[in-house]
Amino acid sequence: MRRITTAVCSLSLLFSGYALAAEKVAFVPQIIGIPYFQAMEAGGKRAASDLGVEFVYSGPVDTNPMDQLQIVQNLIAQKVNAIGISVLDASSIAPVLAQAKANNVHLFTSDSDAPDSGRPVYVAQATDQGLGDAIIDEMVKRVGDHGKIGIVSGEATASNLNSWIGFMQQRVKSKYPNITLLKPQYAGGSASRAAQIATDLMSANPDIKGLIAMASTTCPGVAQAIETAGKNGKVIGSGFCSPNTARAYLKSGAFGYTVLWDPEKLGYLTVWAGKQLIDGKAFSAENRVPGFTEPVKFDSKTGVLLLGSPAVFTKENVDQFKF
Amino acid sequence: MHMTSREIALLAIALLAIAGFSWFSPWFATVDNLLTILRNSSELLLIALGMTLVIAMGGVDVSVGVVMGVAAWAVGQLLLVNSPWLAALAGPLLGLLLGLITALVVVMGRIPAIVGTLGLFGVWRTGLFALLGGQWLSGLPGSLTSGLMHPLLGLPVMAWIIVLVWACVWLVLRHTPYGLWLLAAGNSEEKARLAGIPVTQVRIATFMISGLLCGIAATCYIATYRNVEMTVGGSLALEAIAAVVLGGTRITGGACSLLGTLLGVLLLRILQNGLLLVGIPSLWQTVVTGAVLLVVLSSEAASGRVIAFRRTA
Repeated sequence: MRRITTAVCSLSLLFSGYALAAEKVAFVPQIIGIPYFQAMEAGGKRAASDLGVEFVYSGPVDTNPMDQLQIVQNLIAQKVNAIGISVLDASSIAPVLAQAKANNVHLFTSDSDAPDSGRPVYVAQATDQGLGDAIIDEMVKRVGDHGKIGIVSGEATASNLNSWIGFMQQRVKSKYPNITLLKPQYAGGSASRAAQIATDLMSANPDIKGLIAMASTTCPGVAQAIETAGKNGKVIGSGFCSPNTARAYLKSGAFGYTVLWDPEKLGYLTVWAGKQLIDGKAFSAENRVPGFTEPVKFDSKTGVLLLGSPAVFTKENVDQFKF
Repeated sequence: MHMTSREIALLAIALLAIAGFSWFSPWFATVDNLLTILRNSSELLLIALGMTLVIAMGGVDVSVGVVMGVAAWAVGQLLLVNSPWLAALAGPLLGLLLGLITALVVVMGRIPAIVGTLGLFGVWRTGLFALLGGQWLSGLPGSLTSGLMHPLLGLPVMAWIIVLVWACVWLVLRHTPYGLWLLAAGNSEEKARLAGIPVTQVRIATFMISGLLCGIAATCYIATYRNVEMTVGGSLALEAIAAVVLGGTRITGGACSLLGTLLGVLLLRILQNGLLLVGIPSLWQTVVTGAVLLVVLSSEAASGRVIAFRRTA
């Protein structure tokens, strides 16, 4: 009898061990090799070891939507169980989503959304509105509620950047009627092009008071342009930039502040959400996630799982963050 | 000096663009903005100069942007350990070395230049990723910047370096046997060999000169932008080819125009800068530059046909 029990136990252990090893959650960033997505990768790894799943991290070396979709298709072919993707091109994701469903793979969005694609959940870093409002409010605190502010974005197809820009424009329109938000300019993934555009914006608008870098790739370029023009403190640089990327510029005064969130925690939440989907557990309005002090909110209408409110980094607090 | 019809056409388009931009934007024709255009042109000026030689020889090199990136990484790393002189020299040296590798692959390996350099493009890009270890170099020390941007006779030192480099290449091309050999090899490799021209050596030297120029561009890049990102130099090769072809260098080799390349680079950068200054969204810039390229090349082809028709008539 004992022998049978032992056998059953070891068999079930083996089986559960097999099941654990077989469950794979993947995350596909917009581009590999930048500190931001590396922090998400680190958080994903931490969650994977906490939750007992295997974590796969794979993404394009350039912000190329086609390369990104190919990587997702490869992951589907490899039979991973869930894939979180930071979408580069929202319009081209729907067919891949159908392909994932057909192969019983849970494909969901994280960090950058494709709202009309039918994805099961979007793991959001902060609401797009929260971010748009925060960057504008912080800017107004520093330059006053009069004047011109320029926007240097990355890829014109990146849905997260476009959504933030939309909310920034709304915030200005509804709350700061005397602020002029210039039309966004797009630098692609190149820091040098961002610097050139920022310089040209300052030439075209000598009375410009602030410049906002939308993508982490555009941050060093915008900051460098302000430094080269000798306008540290005269033009307030800012953006959605990680503390590592912005540290030198926050300290030199080219940047007044940056707004972001903790991507390490976002990576953690992404893998947690993937595990929930694999287990077939529905998200509740408020979720307890290990390691999170606040409950994580889920909006069933929009399908958004929200990390929390955005963080503001300045030269005073930047050294507390290492991503 | 005798200018070709292409050079005159480019100059005319550039002047027309300058007049238009000045009309629509009060900020275009200012000293600051013109200096900005020159500063934004610096890497492309160097890389397109090397590309002119490579194309004149009947080759092409699509890896130049990433070669600059790898060299820029070395410059940045040395700058971090605080040796601006060593850092400034590391760019050209590494560029020369990478140019030699390109030459060995393409010339000794007997691989078509476009295929060989496309392969190297992939290798260097991934290599750069590995070197950066996923971390960008950003906010590099300003020691190199203050040196190269130091004003000398009204222009930054960097501008004089670029002028000197162009003068050297012009001298070598027009006043040494190398120039004749290069064009002969570009016209017909077989005939050049039969005429006793050391074609292999000429081709190796040309790729090395191009690499050296990419390396100098890397030092300029670090001085200007003080960061190295993963995607550094991604579009430079295509921009350089566009500038060279715009300038009238024959894409199949055998004829080249340094003045044309100079005008081509400046026209590309003037368009990028001016369109933004007059308020056209940056998305449209590539469309406009692409259209200019097509118009210039097809009008030349059309006038060529007219001449051919007259001759036969």
